[in-house]
Amino acid sequence: MSKFFYAKLALNNIRKNSQTYAPYIMTCIATVMMYYINYSLAAHTGLSRISGGFTLKTILSFGVAIVGLFSLIFLFYTNSFLIKRRKKEIGLLNILGMEKKHIGRVMIIETCYVALISLSSGLLFGMLLSKLMSLLLMKILRFKVELGFEISFPAIRSTLMVFSGIFVLTLLSNLRQIHLAKPVELLRGGQVGEKEPNTKWLLILVGLITLGSGYYIALTTESPLGALSMFFTAVILVMIGTYCLFTAGSIGILKLLRKNKMIYYRPQNFTTISGMIYRMKQNAVGLANICILSTMVLVTLSTTVSLYIGVEDVLKTRYPRDIMIMASDDLNIQDISWEILEKHGKEPENLVDYFYYSLPIQQKGNQFIVNSGLANSAVRYRDLKALHFISVADYQRITGRDVDLAPNAILLYDVHRDYPYDTINILGREFIIKERLDSLETDGQDAMLVINSYYVVLSDLAFLEHVIEADASTSYYLGFNLIAEDSEIIRIQQEIRTALRELDSRITVDGLQASRNDFYSIYGGLFFLGIFLGILFILGTMLIIYYKQITEGFDDRQRFEIMQKVGMSKAEVKQSIGRQVLSVFFLPLIVATIHIAFAFKFIWRLLMLFNITKISLFVWCTMGTLLVFALFYSIFYLMTSRMYYKIVT
Amino acid sequence: MHLLEVMNLKKIYTTRYGGHQVQALTNVSFTVEKGEYVAIMGESGSGKTTLLNIIAALDKPTSGEVWLDGRNIVTIKEREISAFRRDHLGFVFQDFNLLDNFSLKDNILLPLVLAGKSYKEMISRLNRIANKLGIIHLLEKFPYEVSGGEKQRAAVARGLITGPQLILADEPTGALDSRATDSLLRLFNEINDEGQTILMVTHSTKAASHAKRVLFIKDGQVFHQIYKGSMSYEQMYQKIADTLTLITTGGVRHE
Ligand SMILES: Nc1ncnc2c1ncn2[C@@H]1O[C@H](COP(=O)(O)OP(=O)(O)OP(=O)(O)O)[C@@H](O)[C@H]1O
Ligand SMILES: [Mg+2]
Repeated sequence: MSKFFYAKLALNNIRKNSQTYAPYIMTCIATVMMYYINYSLAAHTGLSRISGGFTLKTILSFGVAIVGLFSLIFLFYTNSFLIKRRKKEIGLLNILGMEKKHIGRVMIIETCYVALISLSSGLLFGMLLSKLMSLLLMKILRFKVELGFEISFPAIRSTLMVFSGIFVLTLLSNLRQIHLAKPVELLRGGQVGEKEPNTKWLLILVGLITLGSGYYIALTTESPLGALSMFFTAVILVMIGTYCLFTAGSIGILKLLRKNKMIYYRPQNFTTISGMIYRMKQNAVGLANICILSTMVLVTLSTTVSLYIGVEDVLKTRYPRDIMIMASDDLNIQDISWEILEKHGKEPENLVDYFYYSLPIQQKGNQFIVNSGLANSAVRYRDLKALHFISVADYQRITGRDVDLAPNAILLYDVHRDYPYDTINILGREFIIKERLDSLETDGQDAMLVINSYYVVLSDLAFLEHVIEADASTSYYLGFNLIAEDSEIIRIQQEIRTALRELDSRITVDGLQASRNDFYSIYGGLFFLGIFLGILFILGTMLIIYYKQITEGFDDRQRFEIMQKVGMSKAEVKQSIGRQVLSVFFLPLIVATIHIAFAFKFIWRLLMLFNITKISLFVWCTMGTLLVFALFYSIFYLMTSRMYYKIVT
Repeated sequence: MHLLEVMNLKKIYTTRYGGHQVQALTNVSFTVEKGEYVAIMGESGSGKTTLLNIIAALDKPTSGEVWLDGRNIVTIKEREISAFRRDHLGFVFQDFNLLDNFSLKDNILLPLVLAGKSYKEMISRLNRIANKLGIIHLLEKFPYEVSGGEKQRAAVARGLITGPQLILADEPTGALDSRATDSLLRLFNEINDEGQTILMVTHSTKAASHAKRVLFIKDGQVFHQIYKGSMSYEQMYQKIADTLTLITTGGVRHE
C-alpha cells in the first residue's frame, strides 16, 4: 500500500516536471542508443572478415569509450539542473512532514523509472538504427560487403552496465545533496548565492596566461611531430583559459563597464549590464562548456571531413603506381615481374625504376651533417631531415630529360618546398643548386615520414660512394601501372609479392588498389566516428543551452515583472531580453571560432601526419563545418529564446 | 479639478477555462484631491489590489473610467502606458520589489534611467531624496545586505524620485515590524505634508489612522468613508476599528 504510494508519487513528480524531465529522458535515450550502436558496430562479427576491419574496430572501440565518457558528463550535468530546480518542492515535502528517508525512496523509484524508460527505448532504437548505421558505415568505407543485421549481446550487456552505473552515480549524488541540505535551504532552492560576484583578478590573470600560452604553442609549433606531442598540452591550456576567462574575465569586463557612468546609466545598457553580471555568475561555467563543446564539434568534424575527402589524394601521393616494388637491390626483380605480367597478358605502363641512397641527417642552415648522436633526442625533430641521392644517369633515364650537371652542381626536389638557400653543403662539400624540381617520381615513402625529405640528383659518382660509405641505405624502386580491373591488379600484385618474397623476404610489394581498403578503413572510420561524435557533442551543446535558457527564464521572470511595474514597457523588456540572450548565446560560438582560428595552423600540422597536403581542402572543410554549425546553432537559438521569452512574460 | 477621479469601476475576472466568473469590483466611484492622503481598507478578497492595479494602469477594468490629471488612463495606448506610469505614478509594494542584482542606488535610479535622464540630474535628485529618507549611507549596498525597513525606504525613494503626482502603495507596512512601520508611516506623513498625494491600500488600522481619509470597500463597492479632520491618531484609530467591526458583523444587510 505505502509502496504503491511512493511509486505513484514518483510518477507524478516526473509528469509534473516534464518541462525539465522530458529533455533529460530524451538525452538518456539518445546516449544509450548511440552507445549501443557504436558498441554493436565495433563488435560486429562481419567486420572481422573485411580487410582493414581490425583498424576499423580499434577506431570504433575508441569511439565507444568517448561516447561512454561524455554520456556520463552530460547526464550528470543535466541531472544537476533537475535537482536544483526541484529542491524547493522537496523542501516543501520535507517541511510538511515527509522524512528525508522517504524522499530518498521516492527519488530511487524515480531514477528506476527513468532508467527503465531510457534503457529499454534506447536499446530498442539502437537496434533498429544500428542496421542503418552499418549501411552508412559501409557506404562511407566504399565496401561492397553488407553487414547483416545482428543483435549484439555484448553490446547490450555493456550498455546496461555502463548506464546503470551512470544512473546509480547520479542517484547517489542527488541523495547526498538532499541528505546534506537543511529544509530551509531546500525551500530556497536555486535562490541561494544572490551575492554580487567579486572580480577575481588572479583568475583573469591565470586565464590570460594559459590561453595565451595555448595560442602561442598553436601558432609556433612548426613540425607535425611537435604538434602531436604538444596537442594535449595546448588543448588543456586553452580549456583552462576558457573557463577562467568566461567565469572571471566576463565579470571583470562587465564591472568595468558598470563603473563608466556614461555607458551604464543609459536605458539600453542599464538592465543589460547588471543582468549580465548576474547571469555570468551563474552561467559562466555553462557557457564555457558550450564553448568548449562547440570547439570540439568544429575540430572533430572539420578534420575528419578533410581526411575523408582527401583520402584519394593521400592514396595517390602514397602510392603513385598501381604496383610498387621496394628492395635493397635490383636482383632479378624485373624478370620475375614481367614473367607474371606476361602470364596475365599485361604490359607495364608508366614504368619507373631507379636506385637511391638515403641518409638521415641533421640540418643546420644550409649545412647537412651526420651526427653520431642522431639517435638521441638532442637533435630537434625540426632539424632532422632525410636526404635521398639519385644519380643523374638514373634521373635522365626515368624523366627522358637531358641534363648537363657539373660535379659541384645538383638538382633538388624539396618535397615541402621549404629549403630557402641557393647552395647546399652535404657532409662538408658545397654544391650549387642548379635547378629546383617541381616533381619527381618517388616511391611515396616520403609521404609516410614525418620528417622532411630532400631528393638530391647529382653527377659526382665519387661523392655518391662517399655517401654510401657514410652509412646511407641503398634502395631499388620499381613501379608501374596496369590497365586492368582493380581486382585483377590486386591478384597480380599478390602473385608478384609471393614470387619475390621467395627471392628475398625483405622485398615489399605495395599497390594503390591493394591498399585502398586499408586507407578507407582508417580515414572512413575516423570520418564515421567524427560524424558520430559530432552529433553527440551537438546534442550536448543543445542540452546545456536548453537548460540554461529555462533556468534563466524562471530566474528572470520576477525581475522583469518588477521592471514592468516601475515603468519599463513591454517593448523595452523584449529588447532587453533579446540583447542579453543574444550576447550570452553567441559569445561561446564567437570564442569557439577564435579558438579554431588560432588552432588552424596547428591542426594543419597534425593533418600533415595523415598525408593531407592540400591546405585549401582543410580551409574549405573548416569554413563549411563552421557555417553549418552556426546555422544549426542559430536555429536552436531562435527556438529556445522564444521559449525563454514565453517563460519570462 | 480632482487629481484622481474613479468612476463606476467594474471588474469581472473570467477564469481561464471560461464559465466561472469572479466579480472583484461591482461599482466603485471616488475622487482624490491634490495633496490628499487616502487609505483604502477592506476584508481580504474585497478587491483592493484589483482597484489599485487598475489605477496603476497595470490592469484594465471591465467597465468604468479612471481620470488622472485630466486624462482617462483606461484609454491610454499600450505603447504610451509605461511612460505615463513612469512620469505620473510612484509605487510602493508590500514585498518591496527591489531588484537584487542592483545596488540600492541603482534600484532607486531605475525609473530615471528608463526615462533617459542625464546622469547629473539623476544624482542631484537621488541625493535630495536619499537625504530626506536617511538612506544616503546605504546607497552602495545591495538589497540582501539591508533590513526590511531599509528596503522599504529605498522602495519609497524609487517611487518618489520621478516626482510623481500620485504615490500608490499596496500594503507598504505588510512586511515590516512595528518600529519600521512607525518610521515608514511618519515618513508618509512628512512627504504628504510637503504636498505629495498618496493612495494606500492597507489592512492595518494603525497605518490607516495616519491617513487623512479612509475608504472602506466591501463586496466590490465603496461602503463607507471617514475623514480624519482634526481627530488625533488615537481617535481616528478607534473610529476605524469601530467601522471595521460594523462591516464584519453588520455586513449582512445586503443579503
Ligand atoms: N487574476 C485573477 N483572476 C481571477 N480572479 C482574481 C484575480 N485576481 C483577483 N481575483 C479575485 O478577485 C477578488 C479580489 O481580489 P483582490 O486581490 O483585489 O483582493 P484584495 O482586496 O487585494 O485581498 P487581500 O486583502 O487579501 O490582498 C478575489 O476574490 C480574488 O480571488
Ligand atoms: Mg491585496
